[in-house]
Amino acid sequence: MPLLGRRALLGGLLAGAALPPAPALAKLFSVGRRNAETFTLANGLQAIVLPSRRAPIVTQVVVYKVGSADETFGHTGAAHFLEHMMFKGTDKVPAGEFSRIVSRNGGRDNAYTTFDSTGYHQTIAAEQLELVMRMEADRMVNVHITEREIVPERQVILEERRMRTDNVPASLLDEAVREQLYGRHKPYAMPVIGYADDIRRLGVNDLLAFYRRHYAPNNAVLIVAGDTTPEKVRTLAERHYGPIARRRTEPRTRPSQGGTDLPQKVVRADARVAEPRWSRLWLAPSYRVGETKYAYALQVLARLFGGTETSRLSRVLVNERRIGLSAYASYSPSSLGLTSFDIGVHPAKSRSMTDVEDAVMAEMKKLLDGGVTAEEVERAQNQLLAAAIYSQDSLASGPRIYGTALSTGSTVADVDAWPERIAAVTADDVVAAARHVWRDDGAVTALLTPAEGSR
Amino acid sequence: MKRLRLLVAALAAWLLLVPGMAFAIDIKEITTPLGIKAWLVEDKSTPVVALSFSFSGGTASDPSGQAGITDLMAGLLTDGAGSMDAQAFRQRQEDAAASLGFNASLDRLTGSLRVLSANRDEGFELLRLALTEPRFDADILNQRRAQTLAALNQAAQRPGSVASRTLMETLFAGHPYAADPDGTPQGLAAVTPDLLKKRAAELLLRNSLVIAAVGDIGEAELARQIDRSFGVLPTGTPPALPPEWVPPTKPRTVVVERPVPQSTALLALPGIPRDDPDWYAALVMNHVLGGGGQQSRLFNEVREKRGLAYSVSSGLRTYKRAALLVMSTGSANERVAEALKVIRAEMARMRTDGVTEAELNDARTYLTGALALSLDSSGSIAGLLHSMQIDGLSPDHLTRRASLIAAVKLADVRKVAQRLLRDETLTTVVVGKPVGVTPEP
Repeated sequence: MPLLGRRALLGGLLAGAALPPAPALAKLFSVGRRNAETFTLANGLQAIVLPSRRAPIVTQVVVYKVGSADETFGHTGAAHFLEHMMFKGTDKVPAGEFSRIVSRNGGRDNAYTTFDSTGYHQTIAAEQLELVMRMEADRMVNVHITEREIVPERQVILEERRMRTDNVPASLLDEAVREQLYGRHKPYAMPVIGYADDIRRLGVNDLLAFYRRHYAPNNAVLIVAGDTTPEKVRTLAERHYGPIARRRTEPRTRPSQGGTDLPQKVVRADARVAEPRWSRLWLAPSYRVGETKYAYALQVLARLFGGTETSRLSRVLVNERRIGLSAYASYSPSSLGLTSFDIGVHPAKSRSMTDVEDAVMAEMKKLLDGGVTAEEVERAQNQLLAAAIYSQDSLASGPRIYGTALSTGSTVADVDAWPERIAAVTADDVVAAARHVWRDDGAVTALLTPAEGSR
Repeated sequence: MKRLRLLVAALAAWLLLVPGMAFAIDIKEITTPLGIKAWLVEDKSTPVVALSFSFSGGTASDPSGQAGITDLMAGLLTDGAGSMDAQAFRQRQEDAAASLGFNASLDRLTGSLRVLSANRDEGFELLRLALTEPRFDADILNQRRAQTLAALNQAAQRPGSVASRTLMETLFAGHPYAADPDGTPQGLAAVTPDLLKKRAAELLLRNSLVIAAVGDIGEAELARQIDRSFGVLPTGTPPALPPEWVPPTKPRTVVVERPVPQSTALLALPGIPRDDPDWYAALVMNHVLGGGGQQSRLFNEVREKRGLAYSVSSGLRTYKRAALLVMSTGSANERVAEALKVIRAEMARMRTDGVTEAELNDARTYLTGALALSLDSSGSIAGLLHSMQIDGLSPDHLTRRASLIAAVKLADVRKVAQRLLRDETLTTVVVGKPVGVTPEP
């Protein structure tokens, strides 16, 4: 069977790999190099350019190194509220006009907030890069935050919270689980969008203070992908972002401990749940906090244990034993603080939560006692590396990968070394990582069930 | 007022406005030695080959008593083929870093393949196996059926899903488009491996095939691979089209109670067919009303000014036998009635006044430029080439499109607004515990 070995894929991703790539993969090799060009302006703004000639368009992303985990209890939702207010105008661009201008020039724009970052992005015709750069630089320091604009926007955000959280039982459970896992009122325990009471309370002064404290060129990363050159981006960035003054920013800190009364069990019984779900989340190291040496092995573990339909959990619980309808394991190390390793199963009809839990525990024990095969590890590595190659076929992926990395304390060199580090993971590493994370005292079990008597 | 004028002047000076970009990609039309036609955009800048294709006939032609069989069959095509069971087939895809999948819409059975060009032989071989030797093993059928039933159960609780379903059932009562593409518990229970084989044979016909390919593959090579994957499929008669739809002639409001703090609302009108002469005028009108992003009137009136919703938009939908204009929003139970009122007022304003010259110009530049924005991956380009063929467009459409959009006049937009935005054909569905929304049967 023609199998593309890990070695071949690696050839595609590694710059200067020891083995030269096979001729058929020469192209892979060149795409793998990607030519990410980086530079830093005198005011501290870091820039990354990812050229691609495929279509005459560019994507600009500005990521600020601030997110909801930088908020304090009582002020939750500030980072996200501010993200909304960034569309409310400056002296030069009236409220609401930012998106209209992008749109009338044939582009699209939006923004997002996560625990560790806030990002603003536009995709537009290549010759309009200067337009969006000028406007993004303008609102880095000149945004108007007024009571008049806050009042209706607060209602918009409360509607967003209803849509994403209050209307969705799984999201409400997730909020409760995070409070246990990370510790009440701690970073990552409080929701990105904020608690409704805090959203109602946040005012002009809170948002202005947050803006002035965190929005500065030296606390941001500029990423431009698409039909452009590093020289062009540098010229435009100097022109528009260059004049903005550096600001003093405080170092970001994250706790190295999670919740103090673990293990916990959190149950949400809800009339709006038709299909139950069993899940367990363990506190886990990220690239930055905890036993970071396990961060790569844990990605391989998540993949081979529950990442695809051929993973151990799917094969045994879903295919063979028919205990679950579906099963997953997931882990993301891109966090400035601790993160979690998650396992979840939707029980098959007439199977209890206990059946599911016992079966998952048995598979975990089997892995810890019996180890994993070199073949399993190689398959998982292969899948992870292939996904990295495919991500280079899309204009949106590059900025997302670099933006996430640089706002969570990683470097461009870390991103570039990722394939090599994933490929270096051994079967023993995977078991050691599992042993480190799957501890009883670091977990929350989360049960989503139909309301009592509703089923 | 003075301040506003100053602002506008400053803005005009500050921003260099240019018209939408000219844009062309080189589409080749090929015919394989076995006579199968395909469109190809060869792109050597990527080590990937992406294929997007479809066959006539979808869930709307599910045989009677087997509601859900087409959707189930589409998924099961990649759950075991030839000598491989589902696990083995999936593993082989993973080992080749290939992703192959099938989906059923109301009118078509669609598929896609994405593979590294170095592995394209393996990718097209897996495609051949899925199309010509699917196994439909009872084991995996039972597993997929259980998953589908669970998904149906959960969808019945999700306000957005309930609203969409209720809208289709209301608009298309008595028509095949009313049926849930995922099927019903009874229909799914009736599905057997033999019925799946029969259904696959009815739909997988070489003569109803539409194919688009993008990426690192030349014409001759693509022709060879297409003949290998699709060449042995039989020719035949695809399922008959559903009957013409008779659009509603009176307003209706349906309320479905669900215990949620925010109501989901959908408002639907009969739309406009893709080949209608007023299509581009309708595109412009929809863009100004509630299309694409954060500049529309609905966004401004419902969200920006009044804070009544986070999400509010409108869109044109086309099916083989029907077309719709659907507006949607989500608003707190206590405020959804007001959101609906504002949306209806915007319909009326558009009907009476049409759009302004400035709005028309903005819509033109957006609609012209936005096409290129969707061309950001091999898969998305293949998807565009595929849908162009379904819509009966020629490859040079991409270069003609800008002039078609530029030709839309203010009067055209008003005419199409008067034709489409009619209160007497408006169907409204609200899911939640809305206050002050009265059902109209």
